[in-house]
Amino acid sequence: MGKIVGGFLVPHDPMMFLAPEAPPEEVRGRMWAAFEQCADRLAKLDATAVVIVGGDHYFNFGTDCLPQYLIGTGDVDGPLDVMPGLKRRAIPDSQDLASFMARHGHDNGFDWSVARAFTVDHAVAIPDRLIVDPVRTRGKTIGTIPVYVASGVDPYISMSRCAALGGAIRAAVEAADDHERVVLIGSGGLSHWIGLPQMGQVNEAFDREILSYACSGDLGAMTRLSDEYILSHGGNGGMEIRHWVVAMGAMPGAHGYLIDYAPVPEWVTGLGFVQLIQ
Amino acid sequence: MSRNVLERLLHRLCVDRREKQRFQEDLEGLLERHRLTEEEKTMLRSMDVGAMQRHGVNPMLTIGFWFENAPDPTPRAYMKALADAQAPGPARSR
Repeated sequence: MGKIVGGFLVPHDPMMFLAPEAPPEEVRGRMWAAFEQCADRLAKLDATAVVIVGGDHYFNFGTDCLPQYLIGTGDVDGPLDVMPGLKRRAIPDSQDLASFMARHGHDNGFDWSVARAFTVDHAVAIPDRLIVDPVRTRGKTIGTIPVYVASGVDPYISMSRCAALGGAIRAAVEAADDHERVVLIGSGGLSHWIGLPQMGQVNEAFDREILSYACSGDLGAMTRLSDEYILSHGGNGGMEIRHWVVAMGAMPGAHGYLIDYAPVPEWVTGLGFVQLIQ
Repeated sequence: MSRNVLERLLHRLCVDRREKQRFQEDLEGLLERHRLTEEEKTMLRSMDVGAMQRHGVNPMLTIGFWFENAPDPTPRAYMKALADAQAPGPARSR
């Protein structure tokens, strides 16, 4: 059987690329270093694949089709939304495992939407580029499997369904080939108000509440947060903690090690970095 | 529901180069092709992102629409447009 060998909860803040020097030097240095530390920690896990869980920013999907949850089973590239220092390019994939995960879900009550050739946006491309790519350059072969959940555009996927989806990912990995060693990356959050008049505000209290649940492995507390509470205290961008819930749902009983956190209004969000350890 | 049609057009104005070109070169022709209310057409003509949000449009679309189509596609100008929309007074013209 395959195995989930670790997890990370990280931001995917495009402002790090669009306005790299906006925050104080000490803060921005810590945030880039946190990504590097995630890469170093990933390198020690000897992973064969990473599942990066993100959410659409009303960019990949339009009103014609808004999937609740989707997995990329074929060729992957990105980001769709190129930016300075983050050009579009092919992303190493893990097609056999991703296809198996989709089939396993379909056989077990999880009707994945499937992207057979997928250009991801920055939600997946940033952690892939900053955490996974540095490990590839050290000689490791790691395929990226993108998973998107409906966190940015209504109707939103429920928090409890995200936790269950994490469980479905775990069940699929454990039914996969023995050699598979999979790491989950929940990409997003923490508090931010995308496109709203409050954009630039950060609610540190909300951020630390979410980090405390992540570090104590309290998935129940996460799933009990109402959408109204999240939108009010964490903004529409705070709904991205759903991506963290998927990763936590795939690692029941795991606790989190806080790598770093900073509220960074210049980058319009609170940036939290957690490693999930089972 | 009309909000959906407006969101569909705004999404295209974020990702479709031809629609963006039509918005710049033939706005009235573009508006005629979609089942929009007069109120929604006015929002598009004036790029009134605040009114769009009050109408229920997803803020990710209003900011994407602004960055892809506004004469001054900067975050500062977008935030000013939102602030102006909250203040009393007439809508701005494009």
